[in-house]
Amino acid sequence: MNKGLIGCLGIGAIILFVVLVGGCAVAGSYNRLVGLQQKVDQSWAQVQNVYQRRADLIPNLVNTVQGAANFEKSTLTEVTNARASVGRVQIDPNHAPTDAAKLQEFQQAQGQLSNALSRLLVVSERYPELRATQNFQNLQAQLEGTENRISVERGNFNSAVQEYNVAVRTFPTNLFAGMFGFQPRPFFEAQAGAEKPPTVNFNFGSPAPAATAAPTP
Amino acid sequence: MEITLKLTQLDPSVRARLAVLLRMTKTRTRLCLGILALFASAFVAQAAETIPPKPDRYFNDYAGVVSSGAAQRFNEQLAQFERETSDQVLVVVYHTMQSDSSIDDYTRRVAQAWGVGQKNQRNGVVLFVFVDDRKMFIQVGYGLEGALPDFTAFDITERHIKPLFRNQDYEGGIATGIDLICKAIRGEYKGSGKTTRESGSSQNNPAGLLVFFFVLVIILLAMRASRRFGGYRYTGGGGPFVSGNWGSGGGWSSSSSGGGFSGFSGGGGSFGGGGAGSSW
Repeated sequence: MNKGLIGCLGIGAIILFVVLVGGCAVAGSYNRLVGLQQKVDQSWAQVQNVYQRRADLIPNLVNTVQGAANFEKSTLTEVTNARASVGRVQIDPNHAPTDAAKLQEFQQAQGQLSNALSRLLVVSERYPELRATQNFQNLQAQLEGTENRISVERGNFNSAVQEYNVAVRTFPTNLFAGMFGFQPRPFFEAQAGAEKPPTVNFNFGSPAPAATAAPTP
Repeated sequence: MEITLKLTQLDPSVRARLAVLLRMTKTRTRLCLGILALFASAFVAQAAETIPPKPDRYFNDYAGVVSSGAAQRFNEQLAQFERETSDQVLVVVYHTMQSDSSIDDYTRRVAQAWGVGQKNQRNGVVLFVFVDDRKMFIQVGYGLEGALPDFTAFDITERHIKPLFRNQDYEGGIATGIDLICKAIRGEYKGSGKTTRESGSSQNNPAGLLVFFFVLVIILLAMRASRRFGGYRYTGGGGPFVSGNWGSGGGWSSSSSGGGFSGFSGGGGSFGGGGAGSSW
């Protein structure tokens, strides 16, 4: 047999083998990236879920509180306005945001609503008859539960994004990740000033109703 | 943040003393001192939070506020509930909460670590009672948030358990809590007639089985290859022996009425922050 031909075939086989192995490795990495991206989108949908749950509780809360005599109007309108501005933020619930600015906008709107709600709950301390009603107590329990769920899902979302970002940035996956359209994603960051409690300005113009409620047993 | 504050508060005086010591001692002693200091700091850091170990039963009274007869009764009631509905309901009574975090956050992480509830249905509920802190919380798994929503959990703790706890009637309070929780979530899922521990199903069996078959195939191939070159016969006598071993291996994990009580094994359920609690 022609030794040169065998040599060429041998080299050709080796090159083919290397290309195949390389191709399999790339395919494997690509599939993994797709899986991780799906996980990120899934966690995002969960985050949207729990935020929506909170938004749905607001009308009920506002109705219950409005019934209490002379409740601070400014606090109520603040909550209603914050909820409306949350609704105005255009965000895709099925795909995690790729733009950090968009996520920041969303986070800010939700943060405003959180602040308005905590102010409402602090102000309600001055209305013991309202706080004694079962309806209000149930709503408060629901709101607290929703806040818990929000922090849990945000935590899950952040870990999913971290896992994805690490996969996209590590070598050798980062060489072709950009080529296939996998970019690092933004995640929830602690808001500047989150460590300071929200300020409450009591409107001392209108006096609170005279509290003649019996002391709780 | 709190942990680093504690260390820096320690540092000034300790640092001065260490500096004097270090000037006088040799390198080897310095190394020993350094290691000691590391251990000490690790000990201080760990004191911030502890996740308690996974309990062995459904009803666990680590504070001794319930009689042993009642404890047995509660345990059987909850074990039977799992047999009927596949929901895993746990009650754990501690003296105090070993964490600086909030009760809802801490108890969720504990319940998640224990894996209460079946993995796919996520139907776990844990009633935490901290007697000395006078706080309780019902953690509800993802799968039961519809049947036991936050205001129902709050209703149970605030309006049914709290009055009894206020009168120091822990047994009565817990009995009421268990009855109401079970009543709320019954019907959501169907049970298999056995608890997770009794059915002896562990999640890592499938993977183990695959590995076993893989190894068996390799051994068989190696035997066939050696037969071709060695020229002596080897009957497949090793096969049945090994597979028989595996069959009994699957059974050892079920213990059921080993010590006269029904034991609890976590099904791998997860928790999303649902539930509510009260303090008395």
